[in-house]
Amino acid sequence: MKFKTFAWFVGPSLLMMLLFILAPLISVFWQSFNLTQPVMQTQMVETCTPGFITQICVTEEKTIPVLDDEGNMVTTTTFVGFDVYRELLQPEKAWQKITAGDWRGLLLIDFWGALRFTLTFTFITLPLVIGLGLGLAVAVNSLVKSLRGSVIFITLLPFIITPVIGALSIKWLFIGDGILTAALEWWLDKDIAMFAEAWTIEFLMLFYRVWHAAPFAFVVFYAGLQTINSDSLESAVIDGASRLQQLWYIVIPHLMPLIVFVSLIHLMDAYRVFEEIVGFSSQSHVISLQWLTYEFLVPDQAGNRSVSRASASAMLTMIGIIFLLIYPLRKTWKQYYGGNS
Amino acid sequence: MQAKTIKNLALASALTLASSGAFAACSFNNDVQLKSLSSGFDAWKAVTGAMAECGNFTPTLDNDFKEKQPDAFAAKPALYQIGGVNNATLVPLLNADTVRALDDLVAKYGSHLQPSQLIKIDGKIMAVAMMVNNQHLMYRHDILADLGIAEPKTYQDVLAAAAKIKAAGVVDYPLGGTYMTGWNLGEEFVNMHLGFGGSLIGSGNQPAIDNAQGIATLEMMKSLTAYMDPEFLVSDSTYVQKQFQSGKIAMANLWASRAAAMNNAEESQVVGMVKMASAPVISETGIPASTLWWDGIVIASNISDAEAEAAFKVVMEGLDTEMVKANNDKAVWLISGYQPSAAAEGAIATAMNGAKPYAAGGPEGIMHGVLGSGLADYLTGKKDAATTLADIEAAYTSKAKEAGYL
Amino acid sequence: MSLPTYRQLPLSMKLFAYGFVAIWCLIAAFPILWVAVISFKLPIDSFDHNPLVVLLGPNTVAAGKGISVFDLVMFIGLVWALFRVLKSKFMIWGRHSGFAAFPLLGWASVSLGFMLLIVVTLFMVLPGISAFVNPNLGFLGQGIIGFTLEHYEAIWVEREFYRNFINSMVVTFGVVTISLTIGTLAGYGLARSGTKLAFWLLVVALVFRALPHSVLVAGYMPVFINSAEILAPIFGDAAPTFYGQPLAVIAVLVAINQPFTIWMLRSFFQNIPVELDESARVDGCNHIQAFRHVIMPVMWPGVITTGLFSFLLAYNDFLVTSLLLDMQNQTMVPAIANFFNMETTSTDQVQAVAAAVSIIAPLFVLVMVFQRQIVSGLTAVAVKG
Repeated sequence: MKFKTFAWFVGPSLLMMLLFILAPLISVFWQSFNLTQPVMQTQMVETCTPGFITQICVTEEKTIPVLDDEGNMVTTTTFVGFDVYRELLQPEKAWQKITAGDWRGLLLIDFWGALRFTLTFTFITLPLVIGLGLGLAVAVNSLVKSLRGSVIFITLLPFIITPVIGALSIKWLFIGDGILTAALEWWLDKDIAMFAEAWTIEFLMLFYRVWHAAPFAFVVFYAGLQTINSDSLESAVIDGASRLQQLWYIVIPHLMPLIVFVSLIHLMDAYRVFEEIVGFSSQSHVISLQWLTYEFLVPDQAGNRSVSRASASAMLTMIGIIFLLIYPLRKTWKQYYGGNS
Repeated sequence: MQAKTIKNLALASALTLASSGAFAACSFNNDVQLKSLSSGFDAWKAVTGAMAECGNFTPTLDNDFKEKQPDAFAAKPALYQIGGVNNATLVPLLNADTVRALDDLVAKYGSHLQPSQLIKIDGKIMAVAMMVNNQHLMYRHDILADLGIAEPKTYQDVLAAAAKIKAAGVVDYPLGGTYMTGWNLGEEFVNMHLGFGGSLIGSGNQPAIDNAQGIATLEMMKSLTAYMDPEFLVSDSTYVQKQFQSGKIAMANLWASRAAAMNNAEESQVVGMVKMASAPVISETGIPASTLWWDGIVIASNISDAEAEAAFKVVMEGLDTEMVKANNDKAVWLISGYQPSAAAEGAIATAMNGAKPYAAGGPEGIMHGVLGSGLADYLTGKKDAATTLADIEAAYTSKAKEAGYL
Repeated sequence: MSLPTYRQLPLSMKLFAYGFVAIWCLIAAFPILWVAVISFKLPIDSFDHNPLVVLLGPNTVAAGKGISVFDLVMFIGLVWALFRVLKSKFMIWGRHSGFAAFPLLGWASVSLGFMLLIVVTLFMVLPGISAFVNPNLGFLGQGIIGFTLEHYEAIWVEREFYRNFINSMVVTFGVVTISLTIGTLAGYGLARSGTKLAFWLLVVALVFRALPHSVLVAGYMPVFINSAEILAPIFGDAAPTFYGQPLAVIAVLVAINQPFTIWMLRSFFQNIPVELDESARVDGCNHIQAFRHVIMPVMWPGVITTGLFSFLLAYNDFLVTSLLLDMQNQTMVPAIANFFNMETTSTDQVQAVAAAVSIIAPLFVLVMVFQRQIVSGLTAVAVKG
């Protein structure tokens, strides 16, 4: 294909991505090295507010931003190098904790705690999702044909329903005296509060993610199973391969590209875990990297946002995902040239 | 699914038609397109509902309004003409100069406003307040009377009462608390810290919580949580209100705007059993651990004068005596015509006992935010009190530096 | 038809497979079904900690809001009938609905028609019949299970949830059509170009897909809010404010969705033999003509599957829509998040649950209808991987 034709085909899609993904990304990169601050002045201000009975007026010193003639805030932008990253990573403090072997102390620094959770979340759910998806695909494939349609339908439900609603629907079963908590209490005969401790919340979040993501793995693998060449299986049967051997030597290698594909998608999605934190309100116990970014961005009640720290945290998140993707990407690279040559 | 369903459906659609067709109780017909952005609790529903009667007005009731308002008002033209604010959320709007002075409009259309409703900054009217709010003690007087406990006046009383109630085992948890991580938890600290005589911010915008009052505040909060539902870090006002309504708790320091819900027969199993009292005081200082808030309305500056005038006229319709009469118990209104009822007793007692107004400002906003996210580590036992306070001060310092306050 | 030998499992493994699938189905469906059950009860039953109370709703029955055995049978029968019709006739109707050139539009309109039919039956026809028949049935006509539609009425009629529904439809339709149009072109281009550039574009797209959305949205916010001011020098007074505009959200979601779309469609097009379009090009077509005459007729399985994923993304999105749309244009998902956030009473909460069920109901229908297409489309994508 000529370059010009190629450009015509790819152009619109590329334009959208450049405009709405690359452009914000560049601005985020720039902001992580620069600090934009309003210029402040201190002056006496008299404020009158309603008391319950009489008005209360106080005059006090307030720090307020300087405005220019058009009523906009005057701001200064300074290049601060890696200062913002240092603020976020707190390398001295972290190093001190590491050398002292105080891991709990290290994880109390927001960024490291978030990184810990994000990584454990990603790597615990990954094998569970792949395994459950594969198991389901093989199991459903062995059902009688008439049942398969309904089973696939039910299986897909956790994947298609709105994530926020899915998380809430699981939360409702457990929060306070939700029916499942009540059932557990009755069974174990003790008072249980699922949302009072870190490990129970983490468990619920892992459960939710596997519940939500496994159907996607399932449907992809199931589709892959339909393309398996029955000749190779039959020759394996003739060679006397056991079922496990068939699975190991024929089915899994056949599905390998799909397993890589699903892992890739899952790594990316699990690494930006966010909905679970909001849905299960876990921020008092565990936070994730994307949640950290989000929290820096949300203005507090006085309207202050930490844009620079949010940008730095976003850049670090991105560097992390690139590290995670290197291995599967190398596989794709080989497959890409293997597939086209 | 009976025939009633159909009837209801028909009735409901007829009502919708009626309310959109006629502008019931508004004295004039508004012909300028107006929008508002405010919080979403009952009092705001009542006020914006009354404003909508004038026509061409669409309210946005959003509990995350404080995250959207500064940007939306800074746009040219502003995305909303009318904003609902409270003492804290007014600050960023004032700082960016995106709300206009209302003196001439008040002179022209606001003769019926009470003097205490006018929020003045350096002598200029910048907002019109409609209600005041604070957190105060609500308790089940039936339970306390049964156990021979007098109305708790101090936090020592509260702890003693909680211990007795726990021993008697009459409710699931003696105490409720709005300890949800984030704004709610920060607010609890602010209340208590002010009660201990502390202040959040010292001179030169330096943090002032890593001190004896700070430690005392944390220890008091921790001893209170021992009597709460262990899921206190996810319980917001609605959660506590529901715990009250279903009879699971006996005492809580809850917002005055929630008082009326205790006697809502449709949801509450404790109608008539909850008594409102002043927020408990800290015995060392005699100050109630609560802060005074107000809610009110502002008009954007980045809009035309004609729009501002129309907006203000509509606002005046929303803040009139007629609206208050119809929604008397939904808030402690500042508007003339309000009749304080039993639901307001606690709020008024708290103010009379000398609770302080919430100190609103940029540095205080930052401190409130970092408190909200930093305190959980102490309450879950991950950090001790001194480390927690030091870490919160460090978080404050770096954020305040970023924002230009230090 | 006897299965090939390798498929005939020993009984123990068969039992294991069936048991495994059964347990999974229970786990998969239970939370969703439970939410649906809650939405039909009065609040006092909905939040009880005894599952039987929630299921049977004694207080709801006591309030005179129950369904009888007759209602239940009629309801199940009707749902089953509708389901059969939907399954067998849907694709045919979709194809013959007069939008032959653009099947998506045809399917969309048939889906809408179906939803309307379901709503009318559930809210108008069924209550009418049961009001007439129940009193004459004795025991069979008495309410035994608590069931009320009042929360749905409150949501759709009083709170005007249909506005959010329309907004959701606009955003979803926009995202799916634009995303597929430009994504199909790009996917085809990438599949037929073996250059390093194409590979690196795909890798960059992959990295884009991995970005946390909150970062991107933060980049748009100030630009969208101030777009009227920024664009004023070019457009004068007609300069639009992008914030709160569905079109702006559509653009953002299309961009966010592009990486996945082009990856899927590239894989799909790679599985269409190159010889097909090469032969067309030998006949004198250029690439674009070859695409139109040779590829378009065979691309629908892949496009439909990819389209379904776009649909899910756009319909289910929370972060982007909640931050970039204001209340007047809000789609359904951020709207119910708002219901939950407001200072709520228990009644409000059950209403929000009813809204949640209303949101997932169309997704049910969608999967029911397109289930076979999802699997066959993915199979086509998966041939080479």
